[in-house]
Amino acid sequence: MSLEKLLENPRVWRGSSQVGTRSGLASGYPKLDRCLPGGGWPRGALTEILIGQYGIGELRLLMPALAQLSAEETPAYTGEVTEPGWIAWVAPPFQPYAPALQQHGIDLSRMLIVRPKDDSELLWSAEQALSSGTCAAVLLWPDKLDDQASRRLQLAAEKGNSWAIAFRPLAARQQASAAALRLELQFTGQGTRVHILKSRGGRPTVLNDLL
Amino acid sequence: MPAGRRVKRADSATSSARQQVLPFAEPLPLAPPVSVTPTPVRRLWFCVCLPKLPLEACRSSTEALAIVEEQHGNHRVLLADAAALAAGIMTGQSANAALALLPTLKLEERSHVREQQVLERLASWLERFSSFVSIADKDLLLLEIAGSLRLFGGLPNLRQEISQGLGVLGFSAAVAIAPTPLAATWLARAGRRVCIRAAENLGPALRQLPLACLHWPAGQRESLTGMGITTIGDCLRLPREGFARRFGVERLLDLDRALGHLPDPRDSWRAPERFCADYEMTEEQSDRELLLHICRELLLSHEQFLLARQLGTQRLCFSFFHFKSVATELHLGAALADRSASHWFDLLKIRFEVLRLPEPVIAVRLRSGLSQPLQAETARLSFNNNAPAKQKRRYSITQLAERLVARIGDHAVNALTMVAEHRPEYAWSVRGPLSDWSANTLTMIADSKRPLWMLPEPALLPADSGYPLHQGCRLTLLEGPERLETGWWDEQGISRDYYTAVSGVGMRLWVFRNRQRTPNWYLHGIFG
Repeated sequence: MSLEKLLENPRVWRGSSQVGTRSGLASGYPKLDRCLPGGGWPRGALTEILIGQYGIGELRLLMPALAQLSAEETPAYTGEVTEPGWIAWVAPPFQPYAPALQQHGIDLSRMLIVRPKDDSELLWSAEQALSSGTCAAVLLWPDKLDDQASRRLQLAAEKGNSWAIAFRPLAARQQASAAALRLELQFTGQGTRVHILKSRGGRPTVLNDLL
Repeated sequence: MPAGRRVKRADSATSSARQQVLPFAEPLPLAPPVSVTPTPVRRLWFCVCLPKLPLEACRSSTEALAIVEEQHGNHRVLLADAAALAAGIMTGQSANAALALLPTLKLEERSHVREQQVLERLASWLERFSSFVSIADKDLLLLEIAGSLRLFGGLPNLRQEISQGLGVLGFSAAVAIAPTPLAATWLARAGRRVCIRAAENLGPALRQLPLACLHWPAGQRESLTGMGITTIGDCLRLPREGFARRFGVERLLDLDRALGHLPDPRDSWRAPERFCADYEMTEEQSDRELLLHICRELLLSHEQFLLARQLGTQRLCFSFFHFKSVATELHLGAALADRSASHWFDLLKIRFEVLRLPEPVIAVRLRSGLSQPLQAETARLSFNNNAPAKQKRRYSITQLAERLVARIGDHAVNALTMVAEHRPEYAWSVRGPLSDWSANTLTMIADSKRPLWMLPEPALLPADSGYPLHQGCRLTLLEGPERLETGWWDEQGISRDYYTAVSGVGMRLWVFRNRQRTPNWYLHGIFG
């Protein structure tokens, strides 16, 4: 029996089998794309980014993909509606600065800033935005995010085919999460190291000189 | 325009081809207008002219008040109240001169919007006297009163009642009554407190009026005065053809309409309709499910009400009445005028979840805000029926924003926009949640890099021998300086040298050194 024949057997499970079923969103960093299943950020799923402090490149990492989303005229996932997706920022820690966003090529008329009063409102707003099918991406900065909440976000993202990005502290590394992709960003002295902790359909990798 | 909001009613004059001798001008070179045959229904127009409307529209306090209006770049007094007039303030004075005369004088900028609102309020008040009220100009109201005379016990009674009512409301009005709307308007503007009932008395009364009360263009009035023509009577004596050639047919038509030779149809004004319905319960209820059900019933009848009138509304208010406490109110807002009960019910459910009711409820009231004509949108023809149903978007961005606003409040949801400004903190602003988001924004790309995160206020950084410190360690300056300067025009001037810096823990920061006063270091942004 040849290897090809053996692999066709449905009882054989391969870790990378989900690759190709859903194409990823190009991140603008070819090195990162090569490590991610589907060749980019997972659409319709939750991505977690763990950071020790703000300002080490956590937004720069996302900017090319967000710019692409806000400019897309007919995103494949909205079906017949020809309207580019919105980008919702839920509870950002500082003010997203409009001139800088424009420098990164983001269409400002597609930005929605939501400032909920507490974590329960934050999760509610994020869930609404994700499942609405209007937002191409939803960025959120929760104080706490337990396993159950991350599962809800993951389901809402699947439902609305939207990209959820949750920013969490490094301590969250120990917690279980339903996210399809978990990244850890750390400053190493030379630059920022991107560590893929978990990647559905991929494998953990460390990228040193990405940013 | 929906039917029923504005009702056009033609004047009584019906056209008839019968020739009749005209009571105006001996030589008749131009074909005379179609004359009016006496009809059984006679109209009588009551004109209310409010020359002091700008002042009376904003009277709120007892202190001396003057309304100013900008003329050629200067603020000049347009109208002043009695207290201000007594202090020697005159119309046409500059605002500074008026303040010099009376330092306690309160100056108010003229607002046409406010005047219009007051005029509309007055129009709906006047609807009690007549079924036909018309807003003829920005200071003029017309009532057709022929049908109201018997009800109000004759013309003198009606006139007194209207005049007194206006006085009580605080308006000084010039009123006049005439068989045609234009004649009543002109007589009221001229300040003649006359009452002309018979059409044959109209001509003599109008002939004496000065041309100033016609509000014709200033140029035409000047040339008429130059020709020695100062009254309407003088005008009527001119040959019709020459008059029309010189001053336009429109002016001639004005005169014909005023004299009743031509019909003069007017628009009727109708107060916008609001929905208000109560649901009273036989006993106090605290079952929230039941209350929601009642709200749904009210919303359905609200939908019926609006549907019949082709209207929609943007605001709704539910009041939950309690036996002892003050009623609990719940306000709902929508981005677009809507009437659909299911849409409003969705929004209500979000708010109702977090609504606290101090006591059981005995009655529920639903009031709608101002209604507006609803323009139904035609659904797009879709040729792509094969698209899977789950890929269709569930609701639009405005609906999403409405839901978010309903739950977390008006100020918690907004959008960003650019401002043409070089000072970093003024280079952007936010837009309200329910404003027009599709509007194009300004595109301005600065030459040098800007940080993705902005601090609400620049934060002072401690310094060590001239170098800025952040979280206890010295910052390394990577790029800069970029000098951003001035803003003297609004006294918020800056003079700063901006640098891109990196901290010991890898944070990229946007810092600046103040060049004015003390040369301190500040943190202004973070390159995310």
